[in-house]
Amino acid sequence: MEAVVITGVGVISPLGSGKEEFWQGLIKGREGCAEITAFDTAPFRSRKGAVVTGFHPKAFLPPLKIRRLDRASQFTIAAARMALEDADLAIGKDVSAERLGIILGSGFCGVVNSEAFHRGQVMQGPSDLNPILFPNTVPNAAASNCSIELGIKGPNSTVVQSFCTAEAALLFACQQLLAHRADAIITGGVDELSALLYRGWNELRLIAWDAGEGERSAPYDLKRNGFIPGEGAGVVVIERDTDARRRKARIYAKIRGLATASGAGHPEEKVARTITGALKRGGIETIDFIDGAGNSSPLVDAAEAQGLRLALPDCYRDIPLSSFKSMLGEGIASGGMRIAADLLILERGVIPQTINYAHPDPFCLLNVVQESLQAPIETILHTGISLDGTYMAVILGRANGVS
Amino acid sequence: MRNKKRRAVVTGMGVICAVGRTRAEFLSSLQQGRRGIREITLFDCTGYASHVAAQIDSYDPLDFFDKRELRRLSRVDQFVLIAAEEALADAALVLNPRDGAHIGVCLGAGAGGMRSAEIYHRQLLNGKRPKPSLLLPFVPSYATDRVAERYHLEGPRTTITTACSSSASSVAYAAELIRWGEADVMACGGGEALSELTFGGFCSLKIVDPFPCRPFDARRQGLSLGEGAAVLILEERERALERGATIYGEMLGYSLGGEAFHITAPEETGKEEARIIREALHDAGVKPYEVDYINAHGTGTILNDQVESLAIKEVWGQDAYRLPVSSTKSMIGHCLGAAGGLEAAASLLAMHHGFIPPTAGFEQGDEICDLDYVPQAREAEIEITLSNSFAFGGNCTALIFGREVLRS
Repeated sequence: MEAVVITGVGVISPLGSGKEEFWQGLIKGREGCAEITAFDTAPFRSRKGAVVTGFHPKAFLPPLKIRRLDRASQFTIAAARMALEDADLAIGKDVSAERLGIILGSGFCGVVNSEAFHRGQVMQGPSDLNPILFPNTVPNAAASNCSIELGIKGPNSTVVQSFCTAEAALLFACQQLLAHRADAIITGGVDELSALLYRGWNELRLIAWDAGEGERSAPYDLKRNGFIPGEGAGVVVIERDTDARRRKARIYAKIRGLATASGAGHPEEKVARTITGALKRGGIETIDFIDGAGNSSPLVDAAEAQGLRLALPDCYRDIPLSSFKSMLGEGIASGGMRIAADLLILERGVIPQTINYAHPDPFCLLNVVQESLQAPIETILHTGISLDGTYMAVILGRANGVS
Repeated sequence: MRNKKRRAVVTGMGVICAVGRTRAEFLSSLQQGRRGIREITLFDCTGYASHVAAQIDSYDPLDFFDKRELRRLSRVDQFVLIAAEEALADAALVLNPRDGAHIGVCLGAGAGGMRSAEIYHRQLLNGKRPKPSLLLPFVPSYATDRVAERYHLEGPRTTITTACSSSASSVAYAAELIRWGEADVMACGGGEALSELTFGGFCSLKIVDPFPCRPFDARRQGLSLGEGAAVLILEERERALERGATIYGEMLGYSLGGEAFHITAPEETGKEEARIIREALHDAGVKPYEVDYINAHGTGTILNDQVESLAIKEVWGQDAYRLPVSSTKSMIGHCLGAAGGLEAAASLLAMHHGFIPPTAGFEQGDEICDLDYVPQAREAEIEITLSNSFAFGGNCTALIFGREVLRS
């Protein structure tokens, strides 16, 4: 089978915008979660979110557009511009508009607009509703606004698959490339945090709260009690290996294995099935680092640990593992930012730490990285877990490594 | 790896919409040109420019689900589960745990659980304490997960959310997954439930017809919304033939492109839509003259129907005037996230039963809308159909289906 490689990355994150700020935040263990000021959290048990701050859309968009486009669209446009630039891929020169696609995971994008529009309906009634808001209530507004702004005319789609949203988009995008429906595709995920979403997750008792240890995202920690909702965009440019080599592109990573499993119950078995499947597809025997999906919720982290034990019984306690959700919080499409982190780890040979890890959990006996460490990394296992029944594993390999 | 020999055929369909609770009822309505667009009773639409939609009337969820289940299902999830049940039964798949691993679910979603979320939000704004469970179905992949869970389908799972082209794209992606051997069988299609938010939203854009919509007609003033679900079972062809399954047709090809033009308006010359239709024909290995019927996006808005007609003329030239083009939205309304799935089902039923569904209520076109829009259903041998879906954001999807008997 033809190989798919990643040649560009763009990030707008709670740790900073652009790959360098993002990377510095990651390796220095910056806390991306903070008290939310954008909306009132007084009615809730929790107050923190991993919100994007210090994002300056002016660098990416004209002022008029900034007023018209919602945050999710702005994040996406900014991240996509960065990724194309990073890939040194100019539309119309290196790739035609019709052969460049965008397949994006959308983490509740548009909900902010739905909430505002519906508030108008309830509070003011049917007259004078804002016609600008409604078209941007759709989850595909971010990817579509990006395609309009950048002039992307190839395969265009938006995917939502619970907490595996970005990984599901990556699979879709890879398939479009392998079927030669495009020559390059922008893929990944974007999340936008909104008051209604925060309320919902709070009501469903999924958000971390202060039970004596403070309100923290503490993946794999014994005293973890929920995730911290986050937002941001992480997108990458993918191409077929042969095309990327032909144009002498810098290749961050080769997608060496991508596997999915689904079904209700026994999440650890599904996690193990995806890992085994991805390893088998890539013909891979060793994993140097695990980018864990652990999001500080009691069940997800335990399912991941047990799944790793089943799939890699001889080495699961030795392979360094880290969850960037300790810093980035959790959004259903945060897999996009995590893939961005994976690429930088492969390029730079440094593994960022999991912050807030203090009390080992006997059900998560893993080699959790507590201080960023240098190590040559050839292969990374990236897991995706949604207890709604979707599980994914992605194996990324260094392009100049074993192939 | 993609195997040219792996082809995807449709072996089961389930439908629920304003003109039919089952596939058989839907078929008979299409043949008779029954229109399901009536006064909305689901919510109060006082003050809006229109009061009509293709609502599913006298529907009692307790006929299908028990009370405990219903606490976790929004209106759209119910429709999707009803259609999935019929589709799986129609395909006569024997669902054993071994099979489940090879059967995936890829559905399109529009507003998803919005109806439940807006009930929650309204109560909240009115100072009440709404039930948190109303927000459970808010994530658009919720219906996909419920179908997979109920029937133990453990293959690839994805939800496509590109507004009005969602479920058309879900059929395309499902076929791709089968071609590549990621699954042997896929349940695809999608659902939509009417909501105050989408209704008010389209009204705010001033593109809702106060009367039942009249696609391509000179008097048209906009669309009528609708609701429902369609689930199609796509299956690897050899497997379907081996087990002697009924084959409605083959998914021959598709294209999903972006116009990169405007968030709500189509590119006005129709060149972009034409490009996407051509790409789909090319993918299917079909020449334009081989197409026997186009199930149009045909929303009934001034602009959509003009641009779509222009795009068809751009691709077919003078042949466009001999090609039947109809909008089944004239009967079922614009079902947004379910539209592409319902229209794929209509196209397949038309092929399988040898008729062309009408644009019900069509009387007189205009200078640009001057094609054969099929005012009355007619008998016809159809070998190849095109189904168009165009969405907010310029997301265009074109699907090409072929009749099985002639393509072996």
